[in-house]
Amino acid sequence: MSNPILRVENLHVNFNTYAGTVQAIRDVSFDLNQGETLAIVGESGSGKSVTTKTLMGLNAKNAVIPENSRLLFKDKNLLELSEEEWQHVRGNEIAMIFQDPMTSLDPTMKIGQQIAEPLIKHQELSEKDALARALELMKGVGIPNAEEHINDYPHQWSGGMRQRAVIAIALAADPEILIADEPTTALDVTIQAQILNLMKQLQKQSNSSIIFITHDLGVVAGMADRVAVMYAGKIVEYGTVDEIFFNPQHPYTWGLLNSMPTTDTAEGSLQAIPGTPPDLLEPPLGDAFAPRNSYALAIDSKEEPPFFKISDTHYAATWLLDERAPKVTPPAQILKRWARWEELQGQEA
Amino acid sequence: MVKYILKRLALLIFTLFLVITATFFLMQIMPGTPFNNPKLTPQMIAQLNKAYGLDLPLWQQYLHYLVNAFRGDFGTSFQYQNQSVSMLIGQRLPISAQLGAQALVVGVIAGLLMGAASARNKNNKIDGLLGVVSTLGISVPSFILGIIFLYLFGFKWPLFPVSGWGDSFSQSVLPTLALAVTPAAVVTRFVRSEMIEALSSDYVQLARAKGLSEKEVVNKHAYRNSMIPVLTLIGPMAAGLLTGSTLIENIFSIPGIGQQFVSSIPTKDFPVIMGTTIVYALMLMVMILITDILTAIVDPRVRLQ
Ligand SMILES: Nc1ncnc2c1ncn2[C@@H]1O[C@H](COP(=O)(O)OP(=O)(O)OP(=O)(O)O)[C@@H](O)[C@H]1O
Ligand code: SF4
Ligand SMILES: [Mg+2]
Repeated sequence: MSNPILRVENLHVNFNTYAGTVQAIRDVSFDLNQGETLAIVGESGSGKSVTTKTLMGLNAKNAVIPENSRLLFKDKNLLELSEEEWQHVRGNEIAMIFQDPMTSLDPTMKIGQQIAEPLIKHQELSEKDALARALELMKGVGIPNAEEHINDYPHQWSGGMRQRAVIAIALAADPEILIADEPTTALDVTIQAQILNLMKQLQKQSNSSIIFITHDLGVVAGMADRVAVMYAGKIVEYGTVDEIFFNPQHPYTWGLLNSMPTTDTAEGSLQAIPGTPPDLLEPPLGDAFAPRNSYALAIDSKEEPPFFKISDTHYAATWLLDERAPKVTPPAQILKRWARWEELQGQEA
Repeated sequence: MVKYILKRLALLIFTLFLVITATFFLMQIMPGTPFNNPKLTPQMIAQLNKAYGLDLPLWQQYLHYLVNAFRGDFGTSFQYQNQSVSMLIGQRLPISAQLGAQALVVGVIAGLLMGAASARNKNNKIDGLLGVVSTLGISVPSFILGIIFLYLFGFKWPLFPVSGWGDSFSQSVLPTLALAVTPAAVVTRFVRSEMIEALSSDYVQLARAKGLSEKEVVNKHAYRNSMIPVLTLIGPMAAGLLTGSTLIENIFSIPGIGQQFVSSIPTKDFPVIMGTTIVYALMLMVMILITDILTAIVDPRVRLQ
């Protein structure tokens, strides 16, 4: 059943800066299957946006990607593309929805034209046909009275409507992969739900794959099929949504889940993860999370943990899963989740 | 839009009235009198004062001036007798305006090109070189450039005539260039920073994510957005250039309005001073009005308010 449309293998991204080399992405590998939504979650600075920009070939000029990194998409390694070949991929095969709809549309261009642009570029439609198609797309993303608004400028629209326009732009050329980098963070909660629903519905129609970036596990549950948890430029745990939510194994995932409000969390029991992420100019030896981890073992500051397999779909990089490690008791909230996991397993059996 | 323009025109007339009033009374504070030729006898001076209405109480002079000015009569020059101020300005302003317009066009176009080149090559050699050039352009006054150009291209390598006006276009080349350098430098810097901002904006990122080439991104999105703020800069710059540069006109012996303004001050040629000041103020306000209208045309955010 798994049919990866994109394979990321051993991705490293370094940035040359005056202060030294920032190791923003440190050996990230993952697959994206046809038609699935993969969520990448992690705190600010964990490398989520750098990952997405790398997938679009839009990294800052000071980025250096070592040769053994591979981004395999349709039998080609994206990292070997020329700028011209990239232009064929961008907006056509892989498209992106940006975070802030207030700033991501050109304030001096009519919205209809902005939606038509990728069509003119990739499908070589005439301006007239492209605008006709733009109108359909506007209707498709739920813009009311689209005919009257095709010649509007962005400042005439609300944030939610603008994000719909940004989605229409991304979908214009019918891409195989849609990357959404925190697409709803800038919107208020009700609009957020509308936009997420819209994305799900559109995905069903087109069977495209989505990489959904967020620092908020709360929105992941209803959106994603699988989740990858990122910390300090690495993926530390990945699995299906249920596995990550109800059988989390990495203490960092525990921390993220504990800092997420749910319907049954007692007021005041929410806890942010103490401490700050490491300096990526000089990532620490061993597990980068060790200094913030109250379960840390002696080995953690010396050697990096490998991925331990929990199930065919679920892996976590923490020494706690090593058979020699002492058994630890996770926080109460996580124990509750584990109990729920037992229930779910029981139901399935 | 029409309503907006009418409102602005009304404001313009009111401002003009304030300028006239302020200049009129400030001139009275200037020491000395217009008729200080030692050959003039006191009787002759009294006669002249009478002829020009300078013997009347100040408020009457002011009212007379105001009424006449709004009828389009700015009086006659003290210095060049029997020449009306309107005629004097009418002869000289077009010369200055042509020179200024040439300098403006050359300067702005050069600035747009250099600014964009600088921004697109941010922090490399081209940018560095253009940075030095524009810093020099801003800090060296145009009359010094005028003298340098005059020496280099007028005497050392005599490519262009060194003085005069109206006999051939080539006479205007050196003064145009001398005047164009400062605006070119100012526009370069401005366009550079606006363009750098535009190129790192989210909408340009999105344009790139659509698969547009860098050239399309710049031409379709970055340029237009960085042009809008530049327009506001060009208005006052145009007014300054079109009203003539005193020093450049003197260096190249160009019979423009700047040259005449200077000679009217020590001779206390009140009507000429007044007339020229009014023209300057009017030009400035008209240019600002025009840029505001242009901004409204290219910037949809302003247009629809
Ligand atoms: N051009 C650059 N030069 C140097 N360092 C960079 C550059 N771009 C990103 N970084 C660094 O890479 C790391 C990862 O950044 P990234 O933007 O991917 O974080 P993120 O996970 O998207 O965070 P957020 O939730 O805040 O968006 C950060 O430490 C950041 O400072
Ligand atoms: S490897 Fe060690 S430091 Fe890292 S998460 Fe596991 S226990 Fe904590
Ligand atoms: Mg980010």
